[in-house]
Amino acid sequence: MAFVTLDKPAGKSLRGSMLRGLRFALDRLYLWSGYLAAASMVAILVITVVQIATRYAGINIRGLSDYAGYFMAASAFLAFPLALNRGAHVRIELLLGVMGRFRHMGELAAFAASTLVASWFAFYSCKMVYVSWQYGDLSTGLDATPLWIPQCAMAFGMILFAVAILDQFLQLVFTGEHSIVQSSGIE
Amino acid sequence: MESITILFVLLGLMFILLGSGVWIGLALMAVGGFAIEFFAGRPAGDAIATTIWSSSSSWMLTALPMFIWMGDILLCGKLSEDLFRGLAPMMGRIPGGLLHTNVMGCTIFGSVSGSSAATLSTVAKMTVPELKKRNYPEPLIIGTLAGPATLGLMIPPSIIMVVYGVMTNESIAAINVAGIIPGLVLALLFSGYIVLKTKTMKGYAPTPEPISSLAEKLWASRRLLPVFALLFVVIGSMFAGYATATESAAVGVAGSFFLAWMQGTLNRESFSKSLMSATMASAMIALILAAASGLSLAMGFLGLPEALAAWVGSLNLSAFWLIMCLLVMYIVLGCFLDGISCVALTIAIIEPMVRQAGIDMIWFGIFVVLVVEMAQITPPVGFNLFVLQQMTGHDMFKIALWSFPQFVIMAGMVFVLIAFPALATWLPEQMIPVRV
Repeated sequence: MAFVTLDKPAGKSLRGSMLRGLRFALDRLYLWSGYLAAASMVAILVITVVQIATRYAGINIRGLSDYAGYFMAASAFLAFPLALNRGAHVRIELLLGVMGRFRHMGELAAFAASTLVASWFAFYSCKMVYVSWQYGDLSTGLDATPLWIPQCAMAFGMILFAVAILDQFLQLVFTGEHSIVQSSGIE
Repeated sequence: MESITILFVLLGLMFILLGSGVWIGLALMAVGGFAIEFFAGRPAGDAIATTIWSSSSSWMLTALPMFIWMGDILLCGKLSEDLFRGLAPMMGRIPGGLLHTNVMGCTIFGSVSGSSAATLSTVAKMTVPELKKRNYPEPLIIGTLAGPATLGLMIPPSIIMVVYGVMTNESIAAINVAGIIPGLVLALLFSGYIVLKTKTMKGYAPTPEPISSLAEKLWASRRLLPVFALLFVVIGSMFAGYATATESAAVGVAGSFFLAWMQGTLNRESFSKSLMSATMASAMIALILAAASGLSLAMGFLGLPEALAAWVGSLNLSAFWLIMCLLVMYIVLGCFLDGISCVALTIAIIEPMVRQAGIDMIWFGIFVVLVVEMAQITPPVGFNLFVLQQMTGHDMFKIALWSFPQFVIMAGMVFVLIAFPALATWLPEQMIPVRV
């Protein structure tokens, strides 16, 4: 392939090392976002266990289940980018399989469309956080949390998700293949 | 514009996006956004963002990662080995012999893990080599795995039932409890098929198992006790109203840690491995669910489900024929989509129609899970076929052919469920509500 590959060649040029640095930084970012998501899972477990314990002890801590909900959203959205790269998100490759030599073009179109949709939604997630912050929206539950705080996880996760898809799209454009791990589905 | 035209435009858009390989969640999100923006004539982004936020941060949903995690912890342990060693002496002398370990193993493991592919790969890893060693015919070994592995969806705790409960606003605990009896009946049917098949099959001569005494059988099954105890606590606490679905799932996670610690398999590595794989799996489902909530918002704006319900109502279709139509629809859909996407895609549209026909939503949940189970073993997209293809190296269509009798059994089960709806609805009626 005549394209310049993103990860290796480009030699010792400034551009090459900048690209390598970017590659390293992005991969780290995806990974740490995934770790935060995993930590949110642990938080859900802890909150739920505390909830059972306090209920049977007759103590009432306000809004515990709302906090569990916030961590649920965080555990999902923050894990999107890593889940993408590890092939956890499902898509149908049936039609691509029968496209023969047009497969590459079909794949490019699918990745471009996906980038577009994810970016669109990432934008509105950010806007939602901004609006919540501006109007000082509080949770309607017993916890009365300012909503922009937990919503940040959704906005950040979506931005990084859109970046991760764009990242895969660019890899597909410049190296001819994406680096999503093949998986047989986890259902 | 005419409702029907809108529906077809949206379906066409969905087909193009899904077919070209856009991630399912993103495709649903795009269709939802498109529908609101262009057909309902409202700005879509803000509405979808707030809807997705409230559905993704709902407390009900937290049962999802907890049930997944519980299964993943036990998966990292020695459960599959214990399962085979505990079951083999019991099954050895029944007609069909160790083939029943496939069914029983899947039934027990299906309960533990709540998903189909995980059940399949864990049980298959253990039983396929052992059964091959004993000269069981390979089409039967593999054919009796693909079907029973789908019991993971039916026997509680089940991931797809959490998804269904969240989407229809029905009690997650009730739907899970409803799956117990149909799941066990289905397991019996699978076992019955093995008995019939091996009695009539020519050239069926596996190496017989050594005869073991009752005491030996009981001693071998001691390994199964801890898992049974855990499942009893998790399902029992939901049933008896001691805990909500999320709470019993959290108890399940804690209990799985305890079991893993007792077996000596709990360490830093197995902890982080189970945690990361559960996080990834739950994120994948959360994306689809988030998008589905955006899609149902769009459907609500357009009034499509109500229009559809009215149209179906005007046909004077009896509930039976409505179910038959939906059965065909799900089988076709299941050929191309995985189970959770099937549910996410359809429920928002058909829920009003089903409610209007007077069909019990808990019963309908069991019906949907059953047809989604069938979808797991239909080519060209059947997740269990993928897993078996990867594990055994056989061609997918061959595996599908070998498991076709299982498909027929499940289709038969649909009619059993229609004839005896109490199979699904009786047990949840006996539940005691949670006192909060």
